[in-house]
Amino acid sequence: MSLAIIGCAEVPTKRDPERKRWDILKDVCVRAIQDAGISKDDIEAVLSVNPMAQPSMALDMALGRIPETLGLKGCKDICVLNAGGASTTNCLRLAKSFLDSGWAKFVLIPHVTVQSDIPTEALINFFATAPLDPEWEYPYGVTFNGAMGLITNRYMHETGTTPEEMASVSVGLRGWAALDPMSIFHGKPVTLEDVLNSRMISTPLHSKECNFLADGGGALVVTTHEIAKEMGRPAAYELGHDMAFMGATPVLRSDVFSREAYRSSSRGALEKAGLGINDMDLRQIYGAYPYTQCSALEGYGICEIGEAGKLWASGECGPGGSLPCTTMGDATGRGHTGSGVSMAFYIDTFRQIRGDTGERQVKDCEHAIITTAGGSVMNACTTIYGRSAT
Amino acid sequence: MSEYLKPLPVIQSFSQPFWDAAKDGKLLVQKCNSCGSSIFFPRDRCPECWSEDLGWIEASGKGEIYAFSVTYEGVEKAFKEDLPIVLAWIDLPEGIRMQTNIIDCNPDDVSIGMAVEVTFKKATDDINLPYFKPVSG
Repeated sequence: MSLAIIGCAEVPTKRDPERKRWDILKDVCVRAIQDAGISKDDIEAVLSVNPMAQPSMALDMALGRIPETLGLKGCKDICVLNAGGASTTNCLRLAKSFLDSGWAKFVLIPHVTVQSDIPTEALINFFATAPLDPEWEYPYGVTFNGAMGLITNRYMHETGTTPEEMASVSVGLRGWAALDPMSIFHGKPVTLEDVLNSRMISTPLHSKECNFLADGGGALVVTTHEIAKEMGRPAAYELGHDMAFMGATPVLRSDVFSREAYRSSSRGALEKAGLGINDMDLRQIYGAYPYTQCSALEGYGICEIGEAGKLWASGECGPGGSLPCTTMGDATGRGHTGSGVSMAFYIDTFRQIRGDTGERQVKDCEHAIITTAGGSVMNACTTIYGRSAT
Repeated sequence: MSEYLKPLPVIQSFSQPFWDAAKDGKLLVQKCNSCGSSIFFPRDRCPECWSEDLGWIEASGKGEIYAFSVTYEGVEKAFKEDLPIVLAWIDLPEGIRMQTNIIDCNPDDVSIGMAVEVTFKKATDDINLPYFKPVSG
């Protein structure tokens, strides 16, 4: 099994209902294919990220409109994959099957989500009902923020992480985002006081620790290790992958903080790559809420349980730190684009390894570990990427 | 009584006994008659051993707060009059953890580990929802 990312494109995350779904989609697909240095007819499969709360676009994707619209004459088939925030991960997994079987030499993986033209009440309803149980959670006024507030509160209670330490995670994430022209918060860093003084949403989560729903889009082009090497272009080579599933409903999980899932999936992925956690130059953690930036570092084995908040508070995980984490700012920093957040994570990982992320560039980024999750953190999907195939 | 506008639980045939008992002010916990597991949320097949021989026990109604979160905003319109809402996960001695709200107390007084007890509130003629409140005295 081998996969390498060789092309990408994305649009800046923002709230702009004038920017239409199909305009974003066509734009990122064209530019990603150009970025890969191939022609449109080289694409042999289009595996799309299911856009959450966008039923019309999901149907367009499922029923084959993308290759037709773009005139992808070599396309042999299409598919839409849905695992919420981890949908891009599933697209990459299926792409590996297409590549390994010889069905396709180049696969296009697009995403678009526009939330700014959906009424706020409808979005609250969508995010309250989609990942939560309609019998045992929803009647109690549980929201996405509320469910994550429950977990964060318990995490802080068990680990002794202080509100200042937890808030420092958002300071670090926004620090990265402020340096990123693709972020809705480009040029807008926050201080510890800004976070702690922002409105309380669901204790202990302040508004600047929650997600801002926004619009975005991105696309990846992937191929096999062999073809990427022959092409001689910069690539992010997938070196190992593993995963763990915790369950759909937060209150039922025994691995409440995903820590054990981070532990087992990172061990499995690193073992396949023949590397250790200390070989990683960059850690990309998609959990959408700040506690995951802490429990992942604990699960990865980078620090002891309860020490991760201190690492973030020390500034080591943010811009200029010695342990750069989540350089695309996670959903908190980038803006939450539904199922698009993990797309942004993979694009950023590719670009960090390629070395074109400007002020956010991690020095000599040869290896990166990335973990994504879907639903209300139902799983942990961990991948190791490297600048070369071996 | 004014019309209940908040979402009602979507009740399944196999969870109906839970809601029937709730109408009588009783909190039930589903048990597997085959392997003895306590099951939440109720199913038609034991998630541990796949037995379909499932029964119910009446819980003591006591519990302990495992986690809570006080929600101040971001809820749907129907919940707004209830703000702030104290979301909580309660560990029952019968071996399950439930999602509920803590009511009848100042949200600032709620803490992890606090002893709580069940209390029912009527939503409709057919449905009583179980909530929890601090143990009195």
